[in-house]
Amino acid sequence: MNIKFSDVTKIFKPDIVAVKDVNLEIKRGEFVYIIGATGSGKSTLLHMITRETLPTKGSVSVGNINLKNMRDSEIPYYRRDVGVVAQDFKLIPSLTVFENIAFVMETMSVPPTLVKYRAEKVIDQVGLRRRKNMRPLQLSGGEQQRVAIARALANTPSLFIADEPTGNLDYHTSDEIMQILMSINASGVTVVMSTHNQSIVDTYRQRVLELSQGRVVRDEPDGRYLE
Amino acid sequence: MVTLRYILRDTARILIRHWILGFLTLMTAAVMMWILGLATLFSLNIQSLLLRLERDLIVQAYIHKDSNPESVAVTIRRLPIVADVRSVSPDDALARLQARMGSQAKALDLIGENPLQWSLEIHVTAASGVQGLVRNLMSMPEIEDVVYSGMVVERLSSMSKMADSATLTMFLLSIMITSLVVYNTTHISLYSRRDEISIMFLIGATRSYIATPFVLEGTLLSLFGAAMAALGIVFTYFPGVRILQSTLPFLEIVADRRVIAQFCALLVAFGGTLGWLCSCLVALRFMNSAAKPL
Repeated sequence: MNIKFSDVTKIFKPDIVAVKDVNLEIKRGEFVYIIGATGSGKSTLLHMITRETLPTKGSVSVGNINLKNMRDSEIPYYRRDVGVVAQDFKLIPSLTVFENIAFVMETMSVPPTLVKYRAEKVIDQVGLRRRKNMRPLQLSGGEQQRVAIARALANTPSLFIADEPTGNLDYHTSDEIMQILMSINASGVTVVMSTHNQSIVDTYRQRVLELSQGRVVRDEPDGRYLE
Repeated sequence: MVTLRYILRDTARILIRHWILGFLTLMTAAVMMWILGLATLFSLNIQSLLLRLERDLIVQAYIHKDSNPESVAVTIRRLPIVADVRSVSPDDALARLQARMGSQAKALDLIGENPLQWSLEIHVTAASGVQGLVRNLMSMPEIEDVVYSGMVVERLSSMSKMADSATLTMFLLSIMITSLVVYNTTHISLYSRRDEISIMFLIGATRSYIATPFVLEGTLLSLFGAAMAALGIVFTYFPGVRILQSTLPFLEIVADRRVIAQFCALLVAFGGTLGWLCSCLVALRFMNSAAKPL
């Protein structure tokens, strides 16, 4: 899915400018890092792609659909095609690993046999077979992040949004997560990831978009964390 | 099938998670529905009593000697409040008087010629219209005098109005309290799971999918509350009727088991519908605010 930001500005009440005059295009199958200091507008940019936030000015289009014009009833169906992973994992604590992943498919009324097959496949993909009946709070941070990735993969999305997925993890675990994200991207899925992690950006070299005070100040293919 | 399983599983989870709150809601709904049920039955009995009294209420109109009773009866029959008009000849009236006097009826022979005149017995459809009817009759030149139980009519009419307004007050109060309690319980359930709800929205769950377990929670609590109230009515109303009938045997109280069963079924359906409406309303409001983009 192509993503296009055209003259996008987002101002939160009363007058906090989160994003200002952003113009950018992310092509299908690309892997893009969004970097920048805290408060530079990285998360706001990602939330606009998932339509959790609407731009104050300009438009955000995903796959030629202007998200601002999307009807409320269409949003769930759009989000099913967008896998989302967050720094705080956003797992449902009362459900097991398997149930957290199966839940995404259950919302789409997928038949139980297919739910079981797909859930076990993505659990294997992230290496959590032995943990599938445990609850999120019984898992380490890295394992929880893998569950979140597995959940995001359950619906075979064509767009993958990761908001600082390695933010709470050590180097070794972050490396494992990155390898999973790289393999997802290798299968043709567009990946947009915000991060503060310099070593990851420098190790897994991809396109880098740098934000500062809501503006895109650098857009470099195959870039490094620092210019 | 998957959706149904999820809905039932999640509804059970919500009910278990807030079981104390759920129990309190259930009890409040049960008590309010019980009061509502008894108030309605009280009103039903008053209405039935009034209906019976109204049916027996007769306005007696005495006709002038030179007037034709049949033509006056035809005119009166046309009035909307009038249910039936029967003419009573002087001979019939005398026969009735003799029958009422029993062994003393011979005294009437001393009078000689029958002094009684033609009269009309008028049955009305509602006690509340009698005053107007009497005014109407008094204005007719063919009618000499009108006799009716004015005090009874007035009391019946005011009793009917009082019973109606008491029932209406109870009805509104019960609905208000039950709605408020169900609304709050569902709202607390939704609020306590707001993080999960935001995750559900993020992964593409529809509003109806997220809301259904919460709506079902409110509906079930209200439905079971109404069912408990119906049981309470069965266990309190019939013993009450038995006591009343043994002390005041002339009172005809609604005690037909089929009627009461139908009434209880209606009460349960009403409770379920009320719970469904309240929880739908709160879920809709909550979903609208939770799904609103920033």
